[in-house]
Order: sequence, then C-alpha cells, then structure tokens
Amino acid sequence: MSHSDTIPLHSTSQSDIDEIENLINSNPSSVLPARPPSPPRASIPISSAPIPPPAFIPSNLPAPTNPKTAPVPSVSSAAPKPPLPPRPSGPGGNISASGFGSPPNTLTEPVWDTVKRDLSRIVSNLKLVVFPNPFREDPGKALRDWDLWGPFFFIVFLGLTLSWSASVKKSEVFAVAFALLAAGAVILTLNVLLLGGHIIFFQSLSLLGYCLFPLDIGALICMLKDNVLVKVVVVAVTLAWSSWAAYPFMSSAVNPRRKALALYPVLLMYVSVGFLIIAID
Amino acid sequence: MLVDIQYLDGDEQQSTNNWKGVFSISSYTQYFNVDTDVVLNRLISSLYPISGDFFSKIDANPDLYGLVWISTTLVFAIASLGNCATYLMHRRSDHSTSWTFDVSYLNVAACSIYGYVLIVPLAYYFLLQYLGSNASLIRFWCLWGYSLFIFILSSFLLVIPFEFLRWTIILLGGGASASFVALNLRSYINESEITIVVISAFVLQMGLAIFIKMWFFA
Repeated sequence: MSHSDTIPLHSTSQSDIDEIENLINSNPSSVLPARPPSPPRASIPISSAPIPPPAFIPSNLPAPTNPKTAPVPSVSSAAPKPPLPPRPSGPGGNISASGFGSPPNTLTEPVWDTVKRDLSRIVSNLKLVVFPNPFREDPGKALRDWDLWGPFFFIVFLGLTLSWSASVKKSEVFAVAFALLAAGAVILTLNVLLLGGHIIFFQSLSLLGYCLFPLDIGALICMLKDNVLVKVVVVAVTLAWSSWAAYPFMSSAVNPRRKALALYPVLLMYVSVGFLIIAID
Repeated sequence: MLVDIQYLDGDEQQSTNNWKGVFSISSYTQYFNVDTDVVLNRLISSLYPISGDFFSKIDANPDLYGLVWISTTLVFAIASLGNCATYLMHRRSDHSTSWTFDVSYLNVAACSIYGYVLIVPLAYYFLLQYLGSNASLIRFWCLWGYSLFIFILSSFLLVIPFEFLRWTIILLGGGASASFVALNLRSYINESEITIVVISAFVLQMGLAIFIKMWFFA
C-alpha cells in the first residue's frame, strides 16, 4: 500500500494509486474494465503553491463526491502542473494520468495522429521558409520548430526524380544526387560555423533541406517535359527561388564582411543541382 | 596536420594556437579566419605566376577556405563543362550524336582533384621535414589550393571545340599554375640543393593539367 512507501512517488503513480483506491472504494465487488478517461477532478487543487520536498506522500484521496476539499500540501505533487489543458485522448484512452493533465501519450496514440502531426509541421515549416511571410526577416523565429522529416523527403524525392529521368546509370545518379545534397547540407553548415557564424547545426540542416522544395518542383516539371529550353527556364526560376529562400538565413548568420564567403557555397550547391536537373536526359 | 600543430604548440608561444581537440569546431576556426576581400586578394594574386610572394601574403593567416571551395568548384566545373565539351566535340565530327550526361565524370573528378590537392602537399611537407628544412603543412595546403584557381578559369575556355586551341589553353594555364607553385616553393625553401623538389612540383602540376584535358575534355 502506498501508506508504507517511503520512496517519493512519481506524480503519475500517485494518481494511479488514487484511481485504484477509488475503484476499490466505490466498487469493491467487481473489477471495472478499461473505461473512458475520468473528467478532471475538481477536488485536486491546481494552485501555484510551492512544491514541497518529495517526501512521504500518503494516499490522500478525497472522495469523488466531495469536490470542494481544501488544499492539502501532500497532494501538491499535482501542484506543479499548470491548469489542465484539454486532453486530446484518442479512442484507446489513457487511464494512468488522465486526471492531472500530463502531456498526451504519443506512444499509444493512433499512427494517423502521429503522421498528421508531422505532416502539418512540415507544411507549416515549408510555408515559413519557402513562401513569403512576415517572419522571414528573423530566421530564428522562422524555423524554431525545425524537423528533419521534411528535408529527408525532399532530398529523397529529388534523388528519385533525377534517377527516373536518367536513361542510363540510374542508381549512380541517385547516389550522386543524394550524396551531393546530404553531404552538401552538412558541409555548408560546417562552413558557416568555421567562418565564425552563429547557427544551430540541425536548424541549418533543416532549413537547407526545406529550401530544396522549389528545385523538387523544377525537377518534377523537367521530368515530365523534355524540352531543353523549357528545362533551362524552369530550372533558372526555381534556382532563383531556392536561393532567395536560403539567403536571409545564411547571410544573417555570419559577420557581414564574410557574407559572400558563406553564401557562395550555397549558390554553388544549388547551381550544381540545377545543372544536374537540366543535364540528366 | 596534428604533427604540425603540436610542434608549434610545444615551445614557441608566438603563434596563437588554440587547439581544443580533433572534434571541436573551434579548433579549426583559426584556419578560416578570413574576410571576403582577403580571399579575393589571394585569388587575384594566384593569377600572377612570377611574383613569388604568396607565402609572405599568407604567412600571418593561412586559410583553408580557399583549398576547400576552390577544389570543390573545380570538381563541379570540370565534370559539367567536360560533359558539354565532349558533347560539342562529338557533334562536330558526327552531327547526329545526342546529349548524354556521364555521371562518372563527377566521381573521377572528385577523386582526382581532392586526392591531388590533399596528398601532394602532404607528401611535400613530409619530404621537406625529412630533408631538414622547416615547412608548414597549412601553408602548403593553402598554396596548392589557390593554385587550382587558374584551372577553373581555363576549364570555361576549354569548352570551345577546337583541338589546337584547347591544347594551347591547357598548356598555358597549366604552365602558369605550375610556375606559381614552383616559384613560391622556391622562395619559401631558400636552399640551393632542393631544386629537384621545385622541379618535381612543376612537373606534377603540369601532369594534373594534362590529365584534366585528356580525361574530361577529350
């Protein structure tokens, strides 16, 4: 029983114990099946009381029918939690920490929820980086919620498109494109760091990957339409778009006297990718 | 490179060497401590093969930025322009050839250029250390890196599909680059019995030029 525990309990363990005791007290004869998450218990005060030292926490369980219990210090293992956010529980439901508003359990949520969340993050990052928006002047604000799924998809998509367009040596083309883009992103980031600039490594990788999106579109168009002049025009436009997307981030990261030194390799990489898109027949 | 740094770091306190280990970025930033105008200045001076004062220009602040990005630009330039040039040459002799892009040009270009520009200065560094004269690996890498700049410019001219013109261009460009390396090396070493070293550097650079012509711009 929790009364004899001297080890400080995890906050969710305390709620587990409370729920089990609740079940025992309210329904001693039957074991309830998994039930939908209980509503937030108003009896547990969510206040800004100072956190007590983790000590012996008795199972202080106010009865569910008594919602106006005065705050008791030993229950303030729940006190640090902020006011309960709306709980996005799926059909599976979490019994364990439902009453106290702990973060949604991403291990048990449906796969579609996870995929949808990542996709929406990719789309929002894309909108911030590649399309004109008010936050572009401050790159730190623009890609605060960086992720690497988007860049991964764009690099693989570009490699696949180039590989499909090629008539010979398809696998070598994919390998060259993938290596060029992946190693190129890492080397460009290292270049800025070596020149004394201030960027976060993965944020920069993420941004350079997102800036490939216009070239992806260009490669797709070039795959479908095989005219050299169309290819040159499309690649030129998308190249300019990609460079315009990457410019503010890179140029603000270094000392202004070294701006060209940091930007030239970005231009080199995009021009070489553009040339690959035009040249692959 | 590790040997060079530890040699400097031991007794001589005049160099500001902050080597914090192989895996820390901040120990390499000292080799990239250049501004745009400094890099442009060094690039322009690499086009004058006769002056022989390159080492005095880079002495206080040798940089590896030139090495990395000039060689990368050269790899891309000769791979892409080599494809264009080969296509144009075939088209002159046979009007029905269609454009094909040979991706293996990129692999060969990367291996040869990066291999040359990393290994040859290393070899010269060890050779000169063995012969007793004082050499600095970073400065050698810097020198050989900037010497490749002429090849970038000449590879743009090598697209012109006239064989005689191509040979002229590559021999002139290769000669300029090789004499740039050789004369600067000679002024740096300053001893009379190592002329064979200087001549071999000249020959190697010419060899690189001819290899570029024959493989990529045939």
